[in-house]
Amino acid sequence: MRLHLFQILRRKSVRYSISNLCIGACIMNIKTVGNYSSLTCTKLTLFTILAVLIQITGLSLFITGFFPVKPTLSGISGLESFYPPGSDPTDLSQNVSTLPPDKLKSLYQEVSGVPPVFDRLVLMVIDGLPAEFVLGRDGMPPSKEFVEAMPYTQSLLAKGLATGYHAKAAPPTVTMPRLKAMLSGAVGGFLDVAFNFNTQAFLDDNLIGQFFRFGWKMVMLGDETWLKLFPRMFTRYDGVSSFFVKDTIQVDYNVSRHLADELKSTDWDLLILHYLGLDHVGHIGGRNCILMTPKLIEMDEVIKMIHSSAIQTQEAEQRGTLLLVVSDHGMTESGNHGGSSYEETDSLALFISPGTFGYTSETNIKAFQVDIAATLALLFGVPIPKNNIGTLMADVFTSLTDEQQLRILELNSWQLLRLLQAQFPEVECGRFSCESGSGGHDGAEMFCCLYLDAAALFESWKSKNSSRSVDGDDYRNIVLAYRNFLNSASKWLSGRATDKPIGLLASGIAAMLLSCSMLVCLLFVYGRDAPFEGRQHLSHIDNMQKWHLDEIFSLAVIFILISSMGSSSMVEEEQYIWHFMTMSLYLLFFRKTLQFSTPGRLLHAQNVNRKQKRSCSRIYSIVAVLISGRILKGWHQGGVNWAHLPDISKLLEQAGSAPIKSLQLISVLLVISISLTAILWPFWKSRFVMLFTVSFLFPGWLVLLYILNYQDSIVTSASSDAIATTLAQSIYALLSIFTVVILFAIPWFMPLKNSKTFRLFCLSSDIYPQTQREPLFWGFRDSIYAIGWCCVFSWCLLQLLLQQPINSMPVLLLLVQFLASIWYFSDGDPHTRQWVEVAALYYVGMAGHFGLGNTNTLATIDVAGAYIGVSSHSTFISGILMFIITYASPMLALLSMLIYVSVKDMSAIVDTQDDVNFGHLLKTCVGYPCLVPLGLNSIFLVAYTIILLLMRNHLFVWSVFSPKYLYVCATTTCIYIGTSFVALAMTYTCMVLVTRRSE
Amino acid sequence: MRSLGLRLQDEISHTLHDNQIWEASTLVHFKLFLYIVPLIFIWFYQQTKTVSKSIQTQTGLVSAFWAAQNFYSLNLLSNPAETLYLIWIVEASVVILLYSLFRHNPDKCSYFKAVGRALLGLPAGAIVNALGAIVLGAPVGLQHLRKTLHWSLLMSVLTFVPAASIFGSSWTDWHRIFAQTKPIGAIDYMICLPAHGAAIGAWFGAWPMPLDWERPWQEWPICVTYGAIFGYLAGMMTSFGFIVFKNWRRHVKRD
Repeated sequence: MRLHLFQILRRKSVRYSISNLCIGACIMNIKTVGNYSSLTCTKLTLFTILAVLIQITGLSLFITGFFPVKPTLSGISGLESFYPPGSDPTDLSQNVSTLPPDKLKSLYQEVSGVPPVFDRLVLMVIDGLPAEFVLGRDGMPPSKEFVEAMPYTQSLLAKGLATGYHAKAAPPTVTMPRLKAMLSGAVGGFLDVAFNFNTQAFLDDNLIGQFFRFGWKMVMLGDETWLKLFPRMFTRYDGVSSFFVKDTIQVDYNVSRHLADELKSTDWDLLILHYLGLDHVGHIGGRNCILMTPKLIEMDEVIKMIHSSAIQTQEAEQRGTLLLVVSDHGMTESGNHGGSSYEETDSLALFISPGTFGYTSETNIKAFQVDIAATLALLFGVPIPKNNIGTLMADVFTSLTDEQQLRILELNSWQLLRLLQAQFPEVECGRFSCESGSGGHDGAEMFCCLYLDAAALFESWKSKNSSRSVDGDDYRNIVLAYRNFLNSASKWLSGRATDKPIGLLASGIAAMLLSCSMLVCLLFVYGRDAPFEGRQHLSHIDNMQKWHLDEIFSLAVIFILISSMGSSSMVEEEQYIWHFMTMSLYLLFFRKTLQFSTPGRLLHAQNVNRKQKRSCSRIYSIVAVLISGRILKGWHQGGVNWAHLPDISKLLEQAGSAPIKSLQLISVLLVISISLTAILWPFWKSRFVMLFTVSFLFPGWLVLLYILNYQDSIVTSASSDAIATTLAQSIYALLSIFTVVILFAIPWFMPLKNSKTFRLFCLSSDIYPQTQREPLFWGFRDSIYAIGWCCVFSWCLLQLLLQQPINSMPVLLLLVQFLASIWYFSDGDPHTRQWVEVAALYYVGMAGHFGLGNTNTLATIDVAGAYIGVSSHSTFISGILMFIITYASPMLALLSMLIYVSVKDMSAIVDTQDDVNFGHLLKTCVGYPCLVPLGLNSIFLVAYTIILLLMRNHLFVWSVFSPKYLYVCATTTCIYIGTSFVALAMTYTCMVLVTRRSE
Repeated sequence: MRSLGLRLQDEISHTLHDNQIWEASTLVHFKLFLYIVPLIFIWFYQQTKTVSKSIQTQTGLVSAFWAAQNFYSLNLLSNPAETLYLIWIVEASVVILLYSLFRHNPDKCSYFKAVGRALLGLPAGAIVNALGAIVLGAPVGLQHLRKTLHWSLLMSVLTFVPAASIFGSSWTDWHRIFAQTKPIGAIDYMICLPAHGAAIGAWFGAWPMPLDWERPWQEWPICVTYGAIFGYLAGMMTSFGFIVFKNWRRHVKRD
């Protein structure tokens, strides 16, 4: 349909009939079709900016709708949580905040009426342990291998000293959101995953904060995520990093080495142990990895050690220590996690007490991970966190009296009722007439009735003090009523947390669709003006009207990509599609070059020789693109399913550091020499030689120095670390200073005469001597050429500094690819439309994005590189560096558009008009390089948004589709930044030159 | 016809016994096609003699597959390299011997010269095809070497060899057929359409490779070979249709 539409658009006679097909802004444009130019530069810019703004609005609407992040209630639970909702003692809460911790503790105990069941807590988190390993599945005991691996734990379960739960975790099953859920009882949104690398302090109401206000001394050993979540709350800590996934021994040894000392000392109230080894074992070899059994034995030893120490403490000091063994999530058969399958969400909550829990519990009790928060709060007598949606785990409280047990149910109910009231602000519970047995209520009314029911029963039970011990029936009824309320409220609230507001999503998608169609329409209208086409070889007019294979194919790429995005395995293996499509497109270019290269079809006999040479060099450049593209593809296997297969990077890593280092040096030297040659060639005789040489060589030398001396020193001393940081910082500074200086100064000083640039790249221009009349035109393209090269060079050097050493060769290959492509496109080939060329550059950029080892999972983001040259921890700067590293290739594609524009044969503009209209020049230069990436990206963005919405109930929505969506959003950002930079640089140059001409 | 049906049934049960329904159904469909195509050709044979050659090439492919399956008990799934080897040997002999009959300028160029240049074109075409496949992402490595070699030789037989034997080293003819895709006359159609069909078929045949269906036929170069042969057969059919159509038009005009 769109192809057809485009063809219609190209015919003047039917131009008006199409106007009602285009929406909104474009209608005006088409109707105002004058004689020559319907779309002035200003209009084009305004409409593009408008479309981009609409897109940003739509995207943010959709994201806020799809990934809810906000908690419902703000603030922190205090004294009021021990009183029924509605009768909040505001005067009390003010005093509470000023109370010293021990006073607060006794006050809480007094008002709650339930003594703490235990005095201190050991929270042992075993990362990634599926509950199945300890408790079995569906009532069956765990497999023999695992039972034998954990003899002590199994004996505890058998003796009734331990109570185990299958604590179902909510997706995304990634460590940080799960820790938050466990400690606050609230289900966070997906965006938590995005911040998993970027952990920030956890400010919502949570247990650790409550314990801290309580005056507890806390010790943390293990995953450093805790330290980031709760800065300055731990008395002692030893954090380990979870990013070295290959390490399964040291990471746990670093936790256990302090254990003996900590167990001996008595000053702490909460000891957190977070063992990462088991998760790493899973990542290496899956559930049945040979390392799994030894790891479970190790964990069993730790449990044994803590438990025997707890028994000793119990006897010696009369302090009850609760050991709570939990896992944050499970793992699939292959050891991955993140999604919502049973294997991943089946996490463990195992309460181990020094005394008995009363009876041998069954091992197949189902609960939710959020229940842990409420249970721990009630066990230790702190207020339940405000946004908790969990319910208490009753089997742990068997040592309490009946009244106390009812009291804790009441406390839990009050807290959930408060949360419900926040959802239904207009509803008053007292208004409903709830007759028992009437089940027809729904929503707020139903919860009210359930609650009032239970509360009334409890009141009457409390009033008849004397007779209640005789009959257990009343008691059981009250428990039943409370559980009824708690379970339904909890279920409703957790559904509420994952609900998606349909209005936001729909308006977001509508806005994105609108902006997408605006951009596409702008492209059509712009393309119809066809600034580059039909200008010279008249005999090719018939060729121009026809659709060439490469044009059809580059449109087909869009549809193929969109349709492939609907399949989760294609999203995981997206690198294959990009590579396959890009290479196929270049093979088509290759065929096309051959097609138009026969002597028989040449128009100007005197140019035969030159033309032949030209087509030879075109063929070489395509071959260069093809070869470097293939090497790039082989560099990183990428993806998920075949990531283990051998590739060049793995081979090099096995070969040791010497080949990597030499490759790195070669790439740096080649990048510097290629760029220097390219920039100095046309400007050899000009006065900029010194400036360019210095601005290219000096940072290049510093990067070489950095790579040689500081990059892979694993055992760094503090002093060399500091030097490395300073060096990296000075490289950043130098690169940005030189870029800025060249960007701003060059247009002012560029000589306005016909220089070599044009001749170098555009041999066919010699046919048109009249183009040499306009000196400003040369100034413009020379300046853009210099600015473009400077930006490309700085970007490449930055990448060589920041990327992993193994990726330096791919950076060089990318540069070669862009250069060769630009060389291929440069001679103003009348057979290739300009939008195809820009699209091809964009595709090469995207293929290169995956060639650098990126995938659609968040795991491949290079976190280590984001700390190069950062002296103090700054999330913002690290985030920017991470973005620079990840989007190296698409950004390079956009920057190379500058060079592309400067070497493109644009004699048409000078040709058609005596006086060069700079608005027209600008429009011609900036039009496609900005519109095509924006348009392509908007199509991908809106298509993928719709796919994500359709897939919202898919099993892999959290593990595959949502991370991909984050990447799509980041790509959009990258395109915005890149295109606006390109547009601004050209506009600035143009304005400066206009000023100079008028002088 | 009846015996053909029986054979097919026999094949189905034969292949099904190792419970690989997917592969079996693909194979069976494939063979069905291979059997039916020559039948159609034989039916048309009554009307025009120009297609005799394409019938014979079809028969070449069929007999190669048949021989591979029945005499050597090879198939693409278990022994891709050997099967490809057998197929290209049989197909190459049929194609070279047949197409050389249609060489350009038969007065200046002897039959054996045509055979000779076809033999020269075979490795040259194989190199081009192998390079193309590798650029598009075919795996490189010692364990894939034999498969890639035999696959590219087969592709060369399907694409390059006919042109080599007919045109020799005439650049204009090669350019017309492969770069411009402007065939004129029956012979051009016979070369151009099957060759393009084979290349396009192979291109589409690579599509299932990155999917995680874990089927044995997703391996390089099995599905690519299937795609190429499908495309080749489709190209053959189309070229045949074109020839018949043009003949018919000519007869109509003459009348």
